[in-house]
Amino acid sequence: MVSVTIKNLTKKYGETVAVKDLNLEIKDQEFFILLGPSGCGKTTTLLCIAGLLKPDEGEVWLGNELVSSSGRDMHVTPQKREVAMMFQDYAIYPHMTVFKNIAFPLEVRGKDKREIVERVTTTAKLLGISQLLDRKPKQLSGGQRQRVALGRAIVRKPRVFLLDEPLANLDAKLRVKTRTELKELQRKLGVTTVYVTHDQVEAMTMADRIIVQRDGVTEQIGTPDELYNRPANLFVAGFIGSPEMNFTDCTLIKDGKKLWLDAKEFKIPVPAEIVPKLESYVGEDVIMGIRPEDLYEREFVKEGTQKNAFRMTVDIIEHVGPYLLLYLRKGRLSLVARVKHTKAGVGQEASIEMDLSKIHLFDKKTTKAIL
Amino acid sequence: MRFPKLGRVTLYILLIFFIFAFLLPLWTCITTSFKTLKGVIDTTPVEPPLGPLFRLPYPTMEPLITAFNIMKRSLLNSFTFTVAAMILSCLLGSINGYILTKITFKGSNTVFLFFTIGIFIPYQAVLVPLVLTMSKLGLYNHLGGLILTHTAYGIPITTLLFRNFYGLIPNSLIMAAKTDGAGTWTIYRRIVLPLSLPPFVVAAVFQFTSIWNDFLFGVVLTRGQNQPASVVLANLKGTTTVMWNLLMGGTLWYALPVLVIYLVLGKYLMRGYMAGAVKG
Amino acid sequence: MRFPSRKVFMKDWMVTSLFLLLSLVLVGYFVYVCIGWNVIVSLSDWKGLTPSYNIAGFDQYLSLFHDQVFLTSLKNNLILILLFVPGSLFLGLFLAILLDLKVRGEGAFRSIYLLPFALSFVITATLWAWMYNLDVGVINTLLEKIGLGFLRPMWVADPNIAMYCVVLALIWQFSGYTMLIFLGGIRSIPESQIRAAEVDGASGFDLYRYVVIPQLKAPALSAFIVLMVFALKAFDFIYILTGGGPGWSTYVLALMMFKETFRKNQFAYGGAIATILFLLALVIVVPYLYLSFRREKE
Repeated sequence: MVSVTIKNLTKKYGETVAVKDLNLEIKDQEFFILLGPSGCGKTTTLLCIAGLLKPDEGEVWLGNELVSSSGRDMHVTPQKREVAMMFQDYAIYPHMTVFKNIAFPLEVRGKDKREIVERVTTTAKLLGISQLLDRKPKQLSGGQRQRVALGRAIVRKPRVFLLDEPLANLDAKLRVKTRTELKELQRKLGVTTVYVTHDQVEAMTMADRIIVQRDGVTEQIGTPDELYNRPANLFVAGFIGSPEMNFTDCTLIKDGKKLWLDAKEFKIPVPAEIVPKLESYVGEDVIMGIRPEDLYEREFVKEGTQKNAFRMTVDIIEHVGPYLLLYLRKGRLSLVARVKHTKAGVGQEASIEMDLSKIHLFDKKTTKAIL
Repeated sequence: MRFPKLGRVTLYILLIFFIFAFLLPLWTCITTSFKTLKGVIDTTPVEPPLGPLFRLPYPTMEPLITAFNIMKRSLLNSFTFTVAAMILSCLLGSINGYILTKITFKGSNTVFLFFTIGIFIPYQAVLVPLVLTMSKLGLYNHLGGLILTHTAYGIPITTLLFRNFYGLIPNSLIMAAKTDGAGTWTIYRRIVLPLSLPPFVVAAVFQFTSIWNDFLFGVVLTRGQNQPASVVLANLKGTTTVMWNLLMGGTLWYALPVLVIYLVLGKYLMRGYMAGAVKG
Repeated sequence: MRFPSRKVFMKDWMVTSLFLLLSLVLVGYFVYVCIGWNVIVSLSDWKGLTPSYNIAGFDQYLSLFHDQVFLTSLKNNLILILLFVPGSLFLGLFLAILLDLKVRGEGAFRSIYLLPFALSFVITATLWAWMYNLDVGVINTLLEKIGLGFLRPMWVADPNIAMYCVVLALIWQFSGYTMLIFLGGIRSIPESQIRAAEVDGASGFDLYRYVVIPQLKAPALSAFIVLMVFALKAFDFIYILTGGGPGWSTYVLALMMFKETFRKNQFAYGGAIATILFLLALVIVVPYLYLSFRREKE
């Protein structure tokens, strides 16, 4: 199909800036997700790609066709962009049968009847809704409606799929199932897909690449793995991952050749391999982050790797199926640890250890990642 | 709400009292239109002419038949221009409502205000220019003039009604149709119009009753043969001072279409009133 | 894939905007141009059947204020504002509350109370002429039957009470409408709030006084505006019921304008009355529209 390129895109609603100076390059056939809390500008970005909104500044390219350009004051209407969009409420035409709904984009393009019937039937079969073609939307369940909307989007083989929170209105169980199906379908059809969600689990499981936006500003673009393991800043680090990454203020101190992270409640040595990167921060305040799964209880750590245990009180123990969450406290410091087993009970102390190779450090002033 | 038993009895007595108060004029209109002139004098207006069995005079169709012969031409006139102006004003109002809610353009609020003020103006303020304009167009004393007038002054209210309704159609539906490839007019015809049956019924019922009920435009724009029923009835009242049975018969004929609509589609008329539509 | 051409979309948008344009032209001409034209007429010296647009300035307006008929009309419009408007509001509110008390057959009651409002003023005026008729009319016959025949008021034939007879009949016609608006307002108050108030100990009239009625400001305002505008432009009903008489006792502005213009051919004079009527309507409507537009924006 085509790639999608966005250059310096800015969109305002009156005084509020919804998207600010966005640059994006979405590759052909990529599954690309726009992720962020509500009001972050992700839907606005999607609508600009669809042509439903006219950018105030910047350019949008579909492949090598320029479709929006503030500089040349040009804007190709959504009707002519040959992109398909699916909405959170599915936007199914309530007065049309399922067949008519799916056939609509073909009919307005003046396709002949035989082709329409053929393509609608094939699409319905692909999505497993052949038996619903004569029904009205009112008679459909949420999951079935979602499929009809999907059918209407894919029936005309668009150049790009745009999906705005397509799973938000499904119940939890169906959502997980549909996630996989949608991803599979996208791979099979090979259509470039831009997908908007606020659900980071959805984003992490489905996307080839993700952009994290906040208040209209790009926080990071990368693969799920990059976002998770190498967050570019404090916001991304906190937004991706559940339960959230633990953060604590620290000071970097130099003691001879060794560097230490001093958080008052504990003091840990900085692994030798990252020391060179931190020289300039000696004596400064930094924020340390550590994911809950990188904290262990000393008793369950393999002999020989124990280095820097410190004792904390267990406040709460939550049983979350395959693992446990320990809410730990020591003075003003509280941490969450995700562990398989624990020997400590509520109110007791436990020896906690962290995987030093997994710590993240952020500049306190800029909130950007140091490592 | 809990109320003492005595309270509930009082409540229903009150409610029924108001039924009498609200229906009394209409009831006496019906009874009187079935009476002979002698019957009108001999009986109280409340008594229906049920015949000697009830020690009352026989009913007669005479007043209704005479009244119909006087009014039939004007009833047909009224029906013609009412239906035509109703259809035209509803169609235009629907398109305006669609544009004002679903197509964002600069100044759409101003356009809406421009229409809305038209709802409230006293028509006296336009009467003379209106009559002059119709004379110039050759539409004075012509049903076409009434159609044009009622369409023009109906647009503000139908626009308001449709705008209120179209505000409830989700925008995503329109956006979906756009990405599906449908243009402005196609979206109106294929998506918005098929969803508009309820507002069309509300607007049509409202427009029918208010155009049918109009007197002012009819009296200044037409004469003789082309007069609407309202004007002919008013003339009948002006010329007969004693033929109450005939007058009530005429009233009944003129009221009939609106009464039928009220009985069948009253709830839509109520919706129109509640949405801010009122008679001029 | 064949794309629809740009031309198709241009045509598509043109069709739609042509309809809007048609509406704008119609309303623009028949409302705004005509109002302006009427103002020009009011500033002219046009008398008689041949139009004349010689500027006479505010002469017509000045002579209006020495015209006893105009002052009587103004007074009668004021009577409508002071009696008809609150009368319809209160009776409507009363009926709405009655119907809110879990009445059986509420729909039927509501339809009957609203029926007069759906009828033409020509009909209601004729019916009330019959009601008020001196010899065989409904009210006097009934008075006689219950032994009050000696009273035999002259109703609309008595210049002292004719205007009040008009007000009574109009309240009869409009209170169903205000009832409907208030009932809609009452029904939009969440049930949970009524329950909570009942649990808090409010019942019966207290519940209405402290919980329900204070929340009816918005419907009360919209009904108020409608009634006020009507109180200014009332015409058909009075024209047919009394023709303005006896004497000028039931003249109102709209009726005077009509008679001056179309019966006496005093076009400039009638135009001046119409302009005053229009300005008075603006005084009521503009603040209301401003308010509701601001609310909608929020």
